[in-house]
Amino acid sequence: MPRRVAIIATGQTKHAARRLDVNIAELITEAVTRALQDADLTMRDIDAVLLGNMEPFEGFLFPELWAVEGWGGYMKPSVKFNTGGTVGTTTAIAAYYYVASGIYDTVMAIGFQKQSEGHTQTAITTVGDPIWERSVMAGAIGNFAVMATTYMHESGVTEEQAAKVAVKARRNACLNEYAHLQMPDITVEEVLRSEMLAYPVKRLDMCPQSDGAVAVIFAEESKAQKLCPRPAWIKAVATAHEQQYMGDSPKRLAEMRSLIAASRRAYQAAGITNPRKELDVAEIYEVASFAELAMYENLGFCERGEGGKLIDAGVTELTGELPVNPSGGVLSTNPIGATALIRVAEAALQIMGKAGRRQVEGARTALATGYGGNAWTDILILSREKP
Amino acid sequence: MSREETTLRVPFLLDMEYRYAVGQYGRRFFTELRDHARLMGARCPECERVYVPPRPVCGICYRELHEWVEVGPEGTIVGWTVVRLPFIDPMTGEQRPVPYGFAIIRLDGASTSLYHFLDETDERKIRVGQRVRAVFREKREGSLRDILHFRLLEE
Amino acid sequence: MSEWIVRQKIRIPFHYTTGRALTRFLTGLAECRLWATRCGECARVYVPPRSFCGRCWREITEWRELPAEGELMSYTVRPADPPLILGLIRLDGADTALVHRLGEVKLEELERVVRVRAVWREDRTGSILDIAYFAPAR
Ligand SMILES: [Zn+2]
Ligand SMILES: [Zn+2]
Repeated sequence: MPRRVAIIATGQTKHAARRLDVNIAELITEAVTRALQDADLTMRDIDAVLLGNMEPFEGFLFPELWAVEGWGGYMKPSVKFNTGGTVGTTTAIAAYYYVASGIYDTVMAIGFQKQSEGHTQTAITTVGDPIWERSVMAGAIGNFAVMATTYMHESGVTEEQAAKVAVKARRNACLNEYAHLQMPDITVEEVLRSEMLAYPVKRLDMCPQSDGAVAVIFAEESKAQKLCPRPAWIKAVATAHEQQYMGDSPKRLAEMRSLIAASRRAYQAAGITNPRKELDVAEIYEVASFAELAMYENLGFCERGEGGKLIDAGVTELTGELPVNPSGGVLSTNPIGATALIRVAEAALQIMGKAGRRQVEGARTALATGYGGNAWTDILILSREKP
Repeated sequence: MSREETTLRVPFLLDMEYRYAVGQYGRRFFTELRDHARLMGARCPECERVYVPPRPVCGICYRELHEWVEVGPEGTIVGWTVVRLPFIDPMTGEQRPVPYGFAIIRLDGASTSLYHFLDETDERKIRVGQRVRAVFREKREGSLRDILHFRLLEE
Repeated sequence: MSEWIVRQKIRIPFHYTTGRALTRFLTGLAECRLWATRCGECARVYVPPRSFCGRCWREITEWRELPAEGELMSYTVRPADPPLILGLIRLDGADTALVHRLGEVKLEELERVVRVRAVWREDRTGSILDIAYFAPAR
């Protein structure tokens, strides 16, 4: 039987387009120091450190070696993960396994990316298969846009409905002191008028590129209870992978097979039958406004084709029935290697009651997702109750 | 420490050359494409899905694929966009010319879709479900670029 | 069966933020000065300097200027014309070693080199290559 595991502390950097004051090691230190302070621990209390980063973005191999001074890895057991957009949740799930296995008691998961150092659209194009895909692929944005038109066709979602998601995210981000993009006065009109990058995706429909790091501390049951007044218990984790090539999945965004598979597995493990009713808050990996609407449908928050109606009805607003991304989400902050782990950290903050002005009152069950690579999905369900 | 503070930045150019083997299934596909301007897929004996790009194994049934079938050259647009965002092409280190039409195309007879260029950059003229046809180069050398692009067919 | 290869390049420009400690180091190089940091807890002197000691998990704020001279710990030769000689150099007073080029030395003499000194370039820009190479010191 796996041991019970909880998140007991989190730390984030101030995320920004360019953190020109710090190098990667120093950026990581900022997040790790905050996580240690949050739990009142020192680096000596950490048994193992797991790192997440998406490697081509900074152009060097083994960033975990290069940055070891920053993350406290000296002489500690450590593994670095690189699974694309999911890397942060992969790292979190691995940290869960490390502790649940009984081998380590206290494990830190770190995610970081310093996108200002390289060219993200260029580096991400190398995700494409060199023989079959790379010559036509156009970074994350073109790749995303080509799926978004399918989704619009299938669901009837409009550009206006997508723009509402973009507005919700940037307004929520104003309640989050760590968020990168904070645009209190943003309007649907402004999103619709912003520069067309690749139809139907306009600049304000898309996530920014950020520099940032996050650290999350996982602990076994007795330590968690001792160190944290209200730990965020890991109730379920699930992962699902897609097929090999971009064109293999019939409708990609309209029907996110891996998201459906992983979420249903996690719901079942957590005993959730109606996610919209039983989840109190969700922190999901929406790289673009359209993706969030598609995810509502594929996560089972609504029926197929109803994603647009959900945002129209305000269900996912901070004050709605099921707030989605009160942190501002990926649309407001995207240091890729950290992004999915930020979802986990933010979900944990909600359970711990430490989400400040973005707190969802009485949040007891929270969902965190990672999505990326070649349409892979990670799911975590956190809870105030022990599993 | 104020975030407005900036520190020195050091430039570096990553410039590497790679040699990718196309593999047995790629060899068959590109030989047919080069010599006969013909597009081929591989069919799963269990689920009967026809895979383009062809590959040794059906990931869903985990069965080896041995049967080859011709697909296309016509197909249907599953998803599309017109890329307007300028970005550096990692294959050249130079900015890729924009705008360009880019689509997910389900070739007739295939169960999966291929990513390729469209000959159209006017967003008002492209839609999901539209029929397209591969335009092959005169001089073909056995790569996906032997297809110049897909042409929108008149309705 | 003959191979079928697709040749491709990956060519991406990067700009690395150096952080405060390395900025002082690089700026110092332009003035022919070598700056190190010293950890207040373990007393290790780091070159290149860093702002944080990962072993003690504490910030480093103490600066030391080191002489442009030190001990050659090890070397390797990359065959080329002329051969590229790389050395692992521990500057006097430092606990860590720097990798740099060696010059003014014949291959057959390398085995006997113990002490080396930095030879500075005329046109310095705040780069590790402001040191042209390290040469044998008397
Ligand atoms: Zn099959
Ligand atoms: Zn120290």
